[in-house]
Amino acid sequence: MSEWFLLLVVLIPLVAAVLSPMLPFKKRNSRLFFLEAAVILNSILVFAVLLNRPDASLTVFRFTGNLSITLKLDGVGGLYAGLVAILWPLALLYSFEYMKHEHNEVSFFLFYVFTYGVTLGVAMAENILTMYFFFEMLSLITLPLVMHTRTREAVLASRTYLYYMLGGAAFAFIGMIFILTYGRTSSFVPGGVLDLTKLAGRENLIAIVFVLCFCGFSVKTAMWPFSSWLPKAGVAPTPVTALLHAVAVVNTGAFAALRVTYFSFGPELIRGTWAQKLLMGLIVFTIVYGCSRAVKETHFKRRLAWSTVSNLSYILFGIILLSQEGLTAACAHMVFHSFMKICAFFCAGAVIYKTGRNYIHELDGLGRKMPVVFITFTISSLALMAVPGLCGFISKWYLAKAAVLSENPMAYVGIVALLISALLTAIYMLTIVVRAFFPGKDFDYESIRDVQDPNWLMIVPLVIFVIVMFVFGLHSTPVVKLLEQIAAASVR
Amino acid sequence: MKELLLVSILLPSLAGIILLASAFADVLKKKSKKQLKAQAKKSQTPLHLFVGAILAVSAAVILYTAWSGEKSLTLFTLVDNISFRLSLDLLGSFFVTIVCIGWLAAGFYSFVYMSHEGGEKSFFGWFLMVFGVLVGLCFSGNLVTMYFFFELMTLTSMPLVLHNGSREAIMAALKYLFYSMCGAYGALFGIFFLFRYCSSLDFAAGGHLNMTLVSGHEGILLAAVFAMILGFGVKAGMLPMHAWLPTAHPVAPSPASAVLSAVIAKFGVFAIIRTVFYVVGPEFLKGTWVQYAWMTLALLTVFMGSMLAYREKVFKKRLAYSTVSQVSYVLYGLSVLTADGFTGALFHTMAHFFIKTGLFLTAGVFIFKFGYTKVEELRGLGKKMPILMWSYTFLALALIGIPPTGGFISKWYLAAGSLNSGINFFSWFGPVVLLLSALLTAGYLLPITINGFFPGGESEAEVKEEDPHLLMLLPIVILTTMAVLIGLLPNVFVDLISRITNAVLW
Repeated sequence: MSEWFLLLVVLIPLVAAVLSPMLPFKKRNSRLFFLEAAVILNSILVFAVLLNRPDASLTVFRFTGNLSITLKLDGVGGLYAGLVAILWPLALLYSFEYMKHEHNEVSFFLFYVFTYGVTLGVAMAENILTMYFFFEMLSLITLPLVMHTRTREAVLASRTYLYYMLGGAAFAFIGMIFILTYGRTSSFVPGGVLDLTKLAGRENLIAIVFVLCFCGFSVKTAMWPFSSWLPKAGVAPTPVTALLHAVAVVNTGAFAALRVTYFSFGPELIRGTWAQKLLMGLIVFTIVYGCSRAVKETHFKRRLAWSTVSNLSYILFGIILLSQEGLTAACAHMVFHSFMKICAFFCAGAVIYKTGRNYIHELDGLGRKMPVVFITFTISSLALMAVPGLCGFISKWYLAKAAVLSENPMAYVGIVALLISALLTAIYMLTIVVRAFFPGKDFDYESIRDVQDPNWLMIVPLVIFVIVMFVFGLHSTPVVKLLEQIAAASVR
Repeated sequence: MKELLLVSILLPSLAGIILLASAFADVLKKKSKKQLKAQAKKSQTPLHLFVGAILAVSAAVILYTAWSGEKSLTLFTLVDNISFRLSLDLLGSFFVTIVCIGWLAAGFYSFVYMSHEGGEKSFFGWFLMVFGVLVGLCFSGNLVTMYFFFELMTLTSMPLVLHNGSREAIMAALKYLFYSMCGAYGALFGIFFLFRYCSSLDFAAGGHLNMTLVSGHEGILLAAVFAMILGFGVKAGMLPMHAWLPTAHPVAPSPASAVLSAVIAKFGVFAIIRTVFYVVGPEFLKGTWVQYAWMTLALLTVFMGSMLAYREKVFKKRLAYSTVSQVSYVLYGLSVLTADGFTGALFHTMAHFFIKTGLFLTAGVFIFKFGYTKVEELRGLGKKMPILMWSYTFLALALIGIPPTGGFISKWYLAAGSLNSGINFFSWFGPVVLLLSALLTAGYLLPITINGFFPGGESEAEVKEEDPHLLMLLPIVILTTMAVLIGLLPNVFVDLISRITNAVLW
């Protein structure tokens, strides 16, 4: 296919989003139908482009010299774009129902759909400047979504969000300038682009800048000590927390870290340096830290947000192993975690939508009244706990395999951290499940007499996610083969 | 007919799922509690017929499958190059037979017992589910498949613990869950390393270690194997992760405690056997710190379990502590890594299974008939329930290990195994601990017999004999007979076990 399609898939959501408040829709449903149609069409286009990948890159705009906004689709980018393209239509479907009980849905849908285009832009960035451009734009465009409810809590949360995002971007900026100065090119090239003749004898400089840049991008994945914005951002409406703060925004951070590690700095330069050790230490700590905070947390959505903090560090752990197997595992967890966590968040959203209950101690007995939602939630919990047969086990398996293969003692500690985190996951997820299904014999079911499952708009995405978790868990060979090819092409 | 392997697993599991779905539908219909109770009463007989038929048919299918020759079935690729593989060898047949007998005994017993607990539909639903899962565990053909069923076993047996819905039961169930998960992840840690250093994770006597890969990494591999022993040991109630067992087993309804304690705890042992003797290979562990640590922990558990049982006042809790101690006899037998020890371990697995199922079912009768839970309440029962008390006495003697009961044979082999092991200190210290523990066992079990037959004080003038319902009594009597019979005719069983032993050790 022509490379112009790359620009098209980025632009369609942007245009549709901007048009949606302007077009004179008579009814709520017609506006929603328009948006959903645009998003589905775009997702179909994304897959069409993925299946007939254009080899050429498309320079949209050139500033000067090697500074340009250029789009290109390669393996990892394609993977991320495909993931986003599957999830967006489903999340939008869900939010049609969910947003009925929130205000200002017109502006909500504007930003929500807009973000789709921006995220695809990150996925398809050909060089570091383009990625940085879309990365910044993503921070800004999602800010109104965090602030959506306009409560004091939301305003404070969005302020925190902004500070963290800008701070992270500033560190990432240092990395970008470094690459632009010392790189042979600014494009992403497997194995890295640094010009070693210019940098001879300055290995420490490379390591320092790498750490800054990696941390900068990882602010979006909420790596410790930059993790507190994510649970706070949980005040946003659930479709935002589910799709953006469990998938799109946070994965963008991981994706960007992956790009600079494997395509700009190059794994060979970092392997075995103190930079790798330091970052691995931070990541391993985050894996345990996030889960511990989740166990302590009593707010349903915030607990899931802490769980996200931990799980995203799984992805970073795979990345920082700096090997082909590590990259495979990181990609696997990026895909699988998205399905598991968005599913768990949607269940939390369904509970909030139907009952207005936000805290875990309020969930007693609900499992018997909302069976579909809570059975779904149980399955996603089991998947997050890495029970074999579900997709969470597959990614954990490959992460551990890569760690064992690395023969790095710190990576062994990482395996222990993964398993401690799995145990803590069992604790913070299954206490909810047990509470919901077995409230105790004295529980008064009259108090939740009229609670029931939500309608199909919310159920359909949940069921699809469950099917996906089982399919990937029981028949992982094709997708892992694909990921291995992608990883092999990215590590040369 | 290798498909029978799959049928044996699915038949009880699916029946369980049907029951659970039906129980769930009852709740959704928004009926009042009264209506539900009336409905439960009406559907009791059909429910019992259904469960009884499923139990009988599955047991027949499973036993036929287990004893009609070795077979294996590879279903699909689970992860990496590891398949979801079912296969059957003698060890699996041995364990699956135990499972079947346990489920038949506890199942028929429950028909009467559960009528006073309520929630029968969901109880039998989970009961049948666990049955299917355990059969799957016996039939698993490689480590990852076994791990899959191991996790499922925890998840499906948890609802049995919290069945009565009291706060205590729910907390106990959560404790059970988290300890078990902790153990499972410890085991998973080991599996990751074994995958790297073994040429295959399929079970084969002697193991699959790839020594060229291992050289230079013995340290981490030993740590990994130790993590697996500890991890699977959680299910077997081995120190230091035993605390869940005395909390969780007693709060379950008695038939469920019986299978939890007598059968499910053994699957910790089963998993360790599979790991040590079928994947890693005993040679690799011989003389390492892992073996010594394992022996030490097992002996400590044997002693400490008996001691705690001796001090415990609540009858079912006492039995649970006794399980802690007795299952570690089995672990000790394995840890010496000799042929006699292995034979003794498997023999004790069987003997303890018969005895402990019988004891828990007996405890259930006391609760069902009189509501007695404490040991001190159990006075003068020998006249009221002579058959029951006599069978209890035989079970107690068998557990202590007095000839000619089953417990004696197993302890004989365990002691012989330890003495032949050639490990200086442990070879004689082990049997001493076993002996001490046997004394304590007598101390915590026999007073009930004594108080049962000779309550002291003024004896009541007229005591009516009221042995329990036949469906409750018969399983106990049969189990007692078996516990004694295997001691009288040990050769049949020892021959069978020796065939397993010879395959894995020399």
